[in-house]
Amino acid sequence: MNYSRTELLLSEATMNQMRNAIYHLQRFIKKNGVTEIRERMRRIGRNIAHTYIKYWKPIDIVNESNVKDVIATIYKNILNSHISIDIDNIDKKITIRDTDCPLCKYQFDDIDVAGCEIIIAMITEFINLINKKSKDSTPLSLEPINVEESRTFGSRVCIQHFRLIKGGN
Amino acid sequence: MGAVQWLLKKITKAFGRNTNSLFYTLLYREILKEIHEITEIEEDSIIILREIGKKAANESCERHSGIFKWMPGNPKKVLEYFELLWVVVFGKELEEGELTYEEITKEGSKFNDYIITIKTCPICAGYGLDEEDTFNFNNLREKDSEGLACGLTGMLESVANFILKVKKNDYRINIVEQRCIAKGEEGLQFVCKIYDVADWKELTTIRIQDRIKSGVVFEQSTEEEVIQETKLDIVDKLQELLSLDKIEDLLDQPLEGIKKKVAELIEDKLHMEPEHFFDYFRNYEDDMIRIIGFLTVHLFNEYGGFVEKFLANETFAKIAGYIFKQLKEFSLLFIPIDVINDYHQLLINFLDGLAPEEMVENVKQFSGKDDINFLFEGAQMAFENLGIDFSELKENVWEEIRRERENGLISSEQSMITQTEENFPKVIRIIQEILMLFSEILTLPIRVLVSESHYGIKTAINSVVSEEEGLFGRIKDRIDKIFDYIQEIRR
Repeated sequence: MNYSRTELLLSEATMNQMRNAIYHLQRFIKKNGVTEIRERMRRIGRNIAHTYIKYWKPIDIVNESNVKDVIATIYKNILNSHISIDIDNIDKKITIRDTDCPLCKYQFDDIDVAGCEIIIAMITEFINLINKKSKDSTPLSLEPINVEESRTFGSRVCIQHFRLIKGGN
Repeated sequence: MGAVQWLLKKITKAFGRNTNSLFYTLLYREILKEIHEITEIEEDSIIILREIGKKAANESCERHSGIFKWMPGNPKKVLEYFELLWVVVFGKELEEGELTYEEITKEGSKFNDYIITIKTCPICAGYGLDEEDTFNFNNLREKDSEGLACGLTGMLESVANFILKVKKNDYRINIVEQRCIAKGEEGLQFVCKIYDVADWKELTTIRIQDRIKSGVVFEQSTEEEVIQETKLDIVDKLQELLSLDKIEDLLDQPLEGIKKKVAELIEDKLHMEPEHFFDYFRNYEDDMIRIIGFLTVHLFNEYGGFVEKFLANETFAKIAGYIFKQLKEFSLLFIPIDVINDYHQLLINFLDGLAPEEMVENVKQFSGKDDINFLFEGAQMAFENLGIDFSELKENVWEEIRRERENGLISSEQSMITQTEENFPKVIRIIQEILMLFSEILTLPIRVLVSESHYGIKTAINSVVSEEEGLFGRIKDRIDKIFDYIQEIRR
C-alpha cells in the first residue's frame, strides 16, 4: 500500500535538487521558444495550491485581521520558511521578505525569472481558494505583483509583493 | 544499516533545506506537466524529466563535491549505499524493510546487475486522484518507458556516478526505473547495471535529441566533466583511506575488517595469497613478532623521519634508550598476565584463517609474555638502527646520573660543597631504591586499574553490540532525538 497525499503532509523532503530542476526547466522552456516563463512558473504555483488545499488548509476564512498570520502559517507549514510580513494599508500591498527561500539560493546569470514566482502564485491561489469557499460577506483576495529581489539575481533576500484586494474576488 | 551510514543520513536530513513532502511531490508533478506542455509526447516528457533530474543532481553534487569523496569508490558498494543516495536526493528516510536488494548474476561480467525495490513511492503517492494530475501514464506506448519517478531516477544515477567519478573509479552505473506505482505497477523498482567507462561512454553517445520524437530542443549535459582537484591533497589521501564503507566495516567487525584489509594489502602489493605470505614465517614465528615490533618503530619514523632526527642527538638518544628500557621492564610489571594473554589470544584469532594452520599452532605455544618480549626485542633492534646505542647504557638511569670522582681519591680538604658532592650519589641511590619500592607497591593497584579498564571495556563492548538492548541502540535513539530537536530548532 503506497503513501497517501495526506501522509506526505507529515514528512519533509530536501529541496536541493528540485530547486536546481526548476531552473533547468526554465532553460528548457526558453530553448523551445516559449517566452512567458513567468506565467508558466505562476501556473505551477496555482496548480500546487489547487491540489494542496484538498489535503490541508490553515483556516476557513481569511480576512484583514488574520491575513498576516495565515500567510505566515502557510509559509511555515508548506515551505518551512520564517518570513517577515509588512502590510501597507494605504497602497494595499503586502511585502514578504524571505531570507531562506526554498526555491532560490544560487545566482544564475542566464535566468530571468526567480523560482519564488511559483511561491507567490501558490500563496495567492491558496488564500483565494480558501475565501472562495467561505460564506463570509467581507472576504479579501490577493494578487501577485512581483518578486522585487531574489537570491537567484544575487540579492541576499527574496522580496515578494502581493496586492491586497478587499471586498471579494 | 551501519552506524556511519545511519549518522550520515541523519546529518544530510537535518541540514538540508526541507519543505513539506507534499509540496515537493506536487512541484515535481508540475515540472513534468510543464515539460509535457512542450513535448506533447508522454515518452519524450519522461526522457526529458529524467535528464533534468540528472542535470539538477549533478549541479548539486559539484557544489558539494568534497562530501562525496567520503563515499565508497566501488560501484557495488555505492549501490549498497542506495538508501543513503535516496536520502541525499530526496531527503526522506525509508521505513525499516521498505527497500529490498536483489543481485542478478551476470555471467562473464565483473559486476552483476542489481534490482532494488522500494515498496512505497512518495512521488507516486495518491497520483491520479486529483484533477490536476493530468499527465496520463496510460498514453505511454513504449513498454520500456520509465514512470513518474524518472526524474528521481536520473538524480540517483547522477549522484551514484558522481561518486564514482570523484573516486576515480573506472565503472559507471545505469539506473532505470522498471516499475512505477503511478503506472499501476506494484512498488517502485530500479534496475542497476554496471558498465566500464568505455561501454558507458558508448551507451551515452545516444543523444537525447535522437531519442525524442517531438522535435523539441534539449541541451544534453556532457557526461564526463573534469572534477577540480582539491588543493588539500592530504584530505584526498585521508578520504581514500577512510571512505564510509571502510569505516563501517571496521566498526561492524573490527578484527575481521583488519584481517580483510591485511589480506587485500598482501594480495595487491605483494601479489601473493595471505597464506603463502605467512608460510615464509612458519617455524620462525618469534621472528615474525619481532619484525612487527621492528616495523612499528620504522613506520613511526616514516613520517618525516622525526624519530631518527630526535635520536641523532646523543643525549636525547640516551634518554630515549632509558625510557624504552623502563617501558620494557614496566610493561610486564604493570600489565596483568590475563590482559597480556587476552592480546595473545587476539593475535591467534588474527592469524587464524590468514596463516597456515601449523603456524597458528606454533604461536599458540607462546605465552603472552613471550609476545611482549619479542615485540620489544624487535623494537629495540629498530631503535639501534635509528641511533640508540643500548650497549653504552647503564643498568638504569640513576646509574647514568650518578657521578663518581674520576681518580677515585678522597680529597683531604673537604668543604661543605665537596662533601655534598660526595654524598650526592648516595642520595641518588636512596631515591632510586625508594622509587623502585613505590613502583613495586603501586604494581598491584595499577594492575587492578589496567584489569578493570580492560575487562570493563570488554564487558561494555559485549553489551554494546546488541543493537536493540545494548548501549548502541540507546545511543542511536538518543542521537535520533538530538537530530529531531535540531530539525525542530531549524524550523
